[in-house]
Amino acid sequence: MTTLTDAPPAAPESAPKERPPRRRGRLTPYWLLLPGLLWLVVFFALPMVYQASTSVQTGSLEEGYQVTWHFATYWDALTDYWPQFLRSIAYAGTATILCLLLGYPLAYLIAFRAGRWRNLILILVIAPFFTSFLIRTLAWKTILADGGPVVGALNSLHVLDVTSWLGVTAGDRVLATPLAVVCGLTYNFLPFMILPLYTSLERIDGRLHEASGDLYARPFTTFRRVTFPLSMPGVVSGTLLTFIPASGDYVNADLLGSTDTRMVGNVIQTQFLRILDYPTAAALSFILMAGILAIVTLYIRKSGTEDLV
Amino acid sequence: MTKDSSGDVRLSGISKTYGAFTAVHPLDLTVPQGSFFALLGASGCGKTTTLRMIAGLEEPSGGTVSLGEQDVTNLPPYKRPVNTVFQSYALFPHLDIFENVAFGLRRRGIKSVKKQVEDMLELVQLGEQARKKPHQLSGGQQQRVAVARALINHPKVLLLDEPLGALDLKLRRQMQLELKRIQTEVGITFVHVTHDQEEAMTMADTVAVMNAGRVEQLGSPADLYENPRTTFVANFLGTSNFIEAEVDTRSGDEIVLRAGGGKLVLPGARCSAPAAVGGKVLVGVRPEKISLTHADEAGGIPEGRNRITGRIADSSFIGVSTQYVVDSPVCPEFEVYAQNIDRDPRLVPGAEVVLHWNPAHTFGLDAAQSLLAGTTGSAGIETVAEEAAR
Repeated sequence: MTTLTDAPPAAPESAPKERPPRRRGRLTPYWLLLPGLLWLVVFFALPMVYQASTSVQTGSLEEGYQVTWHFATYWDALTDYWPQFLRSIAYAGTATILCLLLGYPLAYLIAFRAGRWRNLILILVIAPFFTSFLIRTLAWKTILADGGPVVGALNSLHVLDVTSWLGVTAGDRVLATPLAVVCGLTYNFLPFMILPLYTSLERIDGRLHEASGDLYARPFTTFRRVTFPLSMPGVVSGTLLTFIPASGDYVNADLLGSTDTRMVGNVIQTQFLRILDYPTAAALSFILMAGILAIVTLYIRKSGTEDLV
Repeated sequence: MTKDSSGDVRLSGISKTYGAFTAVHPLDLTVPQGSFFALLGASGCGKTTTLRMIAGLEEPSGGTVSLGEQDVTNLPPYKRPVNTVFQSYALFPHLDIFENVAFGLRRRGIKSVKKQVEDMLELVQLGEQARKKPHQLSGGQQQRVAVARALINHPKVLLLDEPLGALDLKLRRQMQLELKRIQTEVGITFVHVTHDQEEAMTMADTVAVMNAGRVEQLGSPADLYENPRTTFVANFLGTSNFIEAEVDTRSGDEIVLRAGGGKLVLPGARCSAPAAVGGKVLVGVRPEKISLTHADEAGGIPEGRNRITGRIADSSFIGVSTQYVVDSPVCPEFEVYAQNIDRDPRLVPGAEVVLHWNPAHTFGLDAAQSLLAGTTGSAGIETVAEEAAR
């Protein structure tokens, strides 16, 4: 939107005055949009159309699939796999909240207190990206291994008793439990929370904190009334960047979970790659997408970010 | 004005150092309740640091800050009964004007703020803008919001940190009068930091001129202007001419000095230097106090006036007055501002003239200081040096 409305006024300046027909100048912004649009058509629009058509096909692998407008696939997918949908949203939601709780203090520290350590800490936040997502998740398998030091420590501190009672771990094990999956998700998506938070915190004028203190606000009140509201754009983009990919993720549930912790991503993966039931997999994908879109829309409405500067 | 002293600001021996750099040397200062006090100085002179120590935004390295009878040195800003108008206003961008102004009241747990906020917005003439966001207002309006946001709390002292610096000249003049009006209306002690000498002089009852972390001189604007005690003050507030002179005789209230071939008279009360007979004194006089007479008519000059001779080097007509630069044996570039009432056509560059003025307009300064202190050029150098020290 912004590109479209902002670009045209700049165009007349670039066109020389002595040539009245300025068509080329006026079209320049659209030419500049072309590569991006082309990319979107090839890699977003076409696959979407293809998936949409797959989702309403019937048939079998041997006989081939045909479009029969069989919308019942959607209903069947939903009735068969609603627990996995709910689980995805619950895990992704929990991981997002954990990311926010862990990431906010760190982003705050980097933005306001880190001084000359700022760049170093930022690099440390991004450092995990230098290794593969898969390797890092496998590393968590070792960290949370049965009888390993982490599990041993949690056990002797009776933390596992509490988590077992809550139903997120089972007995002496952490691996293959919901806790392990949520831990994996939180770990993997934490940088996506920290970076936008940092960016929006860093933009806050330090004098606003002084002004707030000058106007009788205690440090915590200053945080609640000034800092946090002003960091809302970061909170919203951070939670979205965490929640959206986390709810479609299947690697964490696959490597750290069990059959009881399957998320909708795992179901889609199985349907596509093992059972080869393409219509169901496509329908599941669309349901997931619609679900996330609905949640995100509601969330953005509620947090009222358009009001923020 | 009143005998109430709860709004007095008392700084005793307050100082601030950053590592090896001393921003504010131990400083004693009392600002009486209800006065409009200005801290004037070039950037880097420690005036803002002093203000921030009163606000509690900066911790003093030594000394104490008291408000009335209360020692507030160790109180955090949110517990001090003072409010600040920040240099760039620091309005909360996520709150509308009403909520910005109500912020302080709400933090103190006051529930019914509507009436107070509306009255305050009325005082600063922004009643219509209550529901706008700060970025929708002009610079002058934002400035008034910042004042309203601070004043609504009825602070004992209002601190203003270069509040008009971001405004253009015309708006600045208007806001100066506005602030002065508000101060008279509410009767709160104002401490105003500025580098603009004209601003300080028009607004403040008392001005403290600061230089390199020290108060050079403190007094009413007229007093500072008419009777500066250092060359810094003499140059920073307006323009001054200096003549190096030797004390000839000293009798009662009158000091007679020798400069070049002539004699100059200086009232003893207006000499801040120890004027021992035979010692050196800097004689100062403001350009507009001087009359200019063509050498041919020197006989008509009344007796008892200080006089020196010279030749006009340059003259510039600026409407209300004409500014002359006169080369004199005792002072190379003597500045004279003459009102354009009866212009003598012979007063053109090259003309021999006699400069004369009432001895009561002469002031005497210690000769052991730079003649250029406080002029724009040297202030710049000092700032650079201080910043390098930081």
